[in-house]
Amino acid sequence: MRTFYLTLKYLIITLWSLFVIAPFLWALSTSFKDFNSVTGGATYIPWLQFEPSLEGWKVLVRSPAKGGVDIIEPYFNSIFVTCTASLISVILGTLAAYALSRFKFKAGFIKNNDITFFFISQRIMPPIVLSIPFFLMLGFLGLLDNLFGLILVYIVLLMPIAVWIMVDFFNKVPQEIDETALIDGCNPYQAFFKVVVPNSIPGLIVAGLFCIIFGWIDFFFAFILTFTEVQLLPVKIVALNSSVTPWWSLSASALVSVAPLIVVAFIVERYLSKGNLSGALK
Amino acid sequence: MAKIEFINVGHSYDLSAKNPVYALEPFSLSWENGGRYALLGPSGCGKTTMLNIMSGLVTPSEGNVFFNDQNITSVKTQQRNIAQVFQFPVIYNTMSVYDNLAFPLKCRNFNESQIRTKVNEVAEILNLSSFLDMGAKGLTADQKQLISLGRGLVREDVAAILMDEPLTVIDPDLKFKLRRKLKEINSKYKTTLIYVTHDQNEAMTFAEKIIVMDSGQIVQSGAPQELFERPSTSFVAYFIGTPAMNIYRCSIDNNELVLGRCKLKIDKNLDQIKSEQLKVGIRSEFIELSDKPQENSILVKIKTNEDFGNYILLTCEFDDFEIKVKIKRDQSISSETPYLILPKSRLCLYENEKLIN
Amino acid sequence: MKLVTDNLTFKPEKEYFLNKVSLEFEAGKLYTLLGRTLSGKTSLLKTIAGLQPIDTGNIIFEEKDFSSIPVWKRNVAMVYQQFINYPHLNVFDNIAFPLKQRKMKTSDIENEVSVAIHKVGLLGFEKRKIQELSGGQQQRVALARSLVKKAKILLLDEPLVNLDYKLREDLRNEFKNIITSDLSANSILLYASTDPLEAMQLNGDIIVLDEGEILQSGTAKDVFENPTNIKVSEITNDPAMNILKGSIDSNKIILNENVQFKIPKHVKNIQAGTYHFGIRASDMILDDKGFDFNIDIAEISGSETFLHLHQNVLNIVLLIEEVRNFNENDKVKINFNLEKLYVFDGKGDLLFSPFKMN
Repeated sequence: MRTFYLTLKYLIITLWSLFVIAPFLWALSTSFKDFNSVTGGATYIPWLQFEPSLEGWKVLVRSPAKGGVDIIEPYFNSIFVTCTASLISVILGTLAAYALSRFKFKAGFIKNNDITFFFISQRIMPPIVLSIPFFLMLGFLGLLDNLFGLILVYIVLLMPIAVWIMVDFFNKVPQEIDETALIDGCNPYQAFFKVVVPNSIPGLIVAGLFCIIFGWIDFFFAFILTFTEVQLLPVKIVALNSSVTPWWSLSASALVSVAPLIVVAFIVERYLSKGNLSGALK
Repeated sequence: MAKIEFINVGHSYDLSAKNPVYALEPFSLSWENGGRYALLGPSGCGKTTMLNIMSGLVTPSEGNVFFNDQNITSVKTQQRNIAQVFQFPVIYNTMSVYDNLAFPLKCRNFNESQIRTKVNEVAEILNLSSFLDMGAKGLTADQKQLISLGRGLVREDVAAILMDEPLTVIDPDLKFKLRRKLKEINSKYKTTLIYVTHDQNEAMTFAEKIIVMDSGQIVQSGAPQELFERPSTSFVAYFIGTPAMNIYRCSIDNNELVLGRCKLKIDKNLDQIKSEQLKVGIRSEFIELSDKPQENSILVKIKTNEDFGNYILLTCEFDDFEIKVKIKRDQSISSETPYLILPKSRLCLYENEKLIN
Repeated sequence: MKLVTDNLTFKPEKEYFLNKVSLEFEAGKLYTLLGRTLSGKTSLLKTIAGLQPIDTGNIIFEEKDFSSIPVWKRNVAMVYQQFINYPHLNVFDNIAFPLKQRKMKTSDIENEVSVAIHKVGLLGFEKRKIQELSGGQQQRVALARSLVKKAKILLLDEPLVNLDYKLREDLRNEFKNIITSDLSANSILLYASTDPLEAMQLNGDIIVLDEGEILQSGTAKDVFENPTNIKVSEITNDPAMNILKGSIDSNKIILNENVQFKIPKHVKNIQAGTYHFGIRASDMILDDKGFDFNIDIAEISGSETFLHLHQNVLNIVLLIEEVRNFNENDKVKINFNLEKLYVFDGKGDLLFSPFKMN
């Protein structure tokens, strides 16, 4: 009976894993095709079923002058913007979350929970509502089509996520630990950095992860707030499209843009599975 | 109301391991209808596991559970007709106290007047009558726990009411009153009450039969007096009673027990005993003070004298041993070095940690 | 070196956390704050530590105004009832933390921490993570960390209440020895508890609190023997003292038409009128020549039996020093040890106590 359940368990896991990996494998094999292979019916395995070609990949690094769509600079732009914005969002968001968790705010009938909800509500709003205001504000500041302008916008968009995750996390750290740190001679800042933060590393990582993901995949604001000087990856990939849909380069670009997230996810998963997350407090 | 039986019930969370660790070693036990039981033991001994097997929250990895001779081992909790009260208050925040208490009855389709009578009755017992219309959210922790308790008591047709350390959050004087109330309820409605605790005081005052557990095993079960006067292992002797029983390593010489430089007589034939692992114990309540040496007396020096209000605890020394004696507050102590008399009928002899009868 | 609290009052919402609390604490002494939950014990400890504000009043320590000194500069140490340790540090680093904050030399830190670890019985546990320890061990770490600071004020907020009963008993003896041996002319120790037996065992001065107010303070013996009012007698006795309403008339104490007795010697010159009479469960006995009472319930606890009795409206709990079985609704005859009778007035204040000449 036990072996039956065991085999069933592994069977389901294998099937599900295949289901998850399948699109990536499909994209991978498509990226090595060219026009002829794509139209010739569904084929999967290179060399066996079709002739692989590196055209899809070469297009991505060829400069526009030679007919390619160079994604290298946008790639690094995206990395820079996402990482910087995420870092600043997590820092500011964590500080805000700590205040919301530990201190009691009251302005009329507005209390801590309302303020937290206000932060979260920024993500509920449809982004298009912000498009014109951001456009006008950045224009006024002369920060349109500019990396730093974009970073500012992303901070506004990502910080609520950090606040949301960290408030919950800080609420789970008993306030008595802060108090003990104070009694042991730390001033409030030291208590925060020496005691509360080291105990919240899992939360920080999760917050950072969410910020990176949401920042990386954003198309909308990258699209409306940048033109020629600064280009981000999602926008540039769209430029790949032409009258004849280039499945091969689209597949290659899809893989290339997802790759960093997968790498990050692997690193974080290693850290999470070491058990550093759970059982922080009895 | 039901007779509950456990036949060879055991539980391990990981049976497939090479040497499975049992949270509960296999055992058989039956619980009489209308009885008052306590499961007593230190943290991690398996008492909560046993309770959860009874209520159905955990299915035992081996063995069967019977209610009135019906095998309900795989029956789900909601169909078992059990009420369970947990250590921390479980209340419905949005409802009034009345609705909280009425909830289990409403779920079982009792009519309004039946519910009203029952809720009022239970509220009366728990001193909650004046709170019935209030919202449950704003009450103190012990009032919330009373509601939790009330919800368990409001169904008198249950097979048993299981309580997992329910009085932990309650103040000492209210605890005393509540224990008494629980006993009254048990004698009035004859509902089986099973009480899990690590507090031997609570177990002793509450239960007719106490089941003492340690590391997943049942060590001894019996009436409080039995456990107190003749604990069957040195663990029970240590765990029951405040302070724990005075226990010492001893040896045998010429049909007498040898404890340091003292010789003690005991009501047993010591010729049959072969083992070297011998211990002798006596409770601090049974030791008497005297000015003159008598049978089984030891000359000691009083080290400390602690006044506990209701009694005085003397910690005395002789040779390398320390012995605790409980005396009344009024009793006069004539010298710093009295004789302690250890009546031979009160001595407990343990061979390999087990009581010799 | 004195710690003085003067008229501390704190009422954040509807109820008083502290209500005009004025106390003086002297160095080298252990004080037990005894009271029910929410009586103000934790509030007082936190206020002294600086973690809770006050509406009015002052705290003066060593002749200086304490309230102007922030928490981290006050020389206090605190042990909570929940096991509070730094989860990201091992045992050694946990205990060393306050010393590192003070920028002590590493070699000195190692010495001090070793001594503390030895004192609390955790030798060999230095490298363990906090999550691996049991409840009792975690509290030992918390205690070690509080001792290592050699603080002038040591605050313990019911440190044993979350431990198993037996463990609590064992640790109570240990903790008491550890903290009293550390108590020097340079430190003040405050221990909060709800358990009167614990308070008696600690044998320090007892301060009885209820609803934020101080009801009584004095030596353990004094508070136990002479509670100033009925409320104090409820808090300081387990089981609670029997309080019986009755009257005095023509030189007799009358509880009801059946239960009457002579006025005991220590109750001198008392006027006729209604009073509350108090007698402990352990100060009554079974007596064939006594008063008839009906048994409600008999509770056996180890070597004692608690009998719950009533006669009409009189309810009594009696303690018998042996195990005997009784049946409900049986009758017994009991008598009162009149030498131990307390007399409280209509409002509940103590008029006559068996231990003091009033």
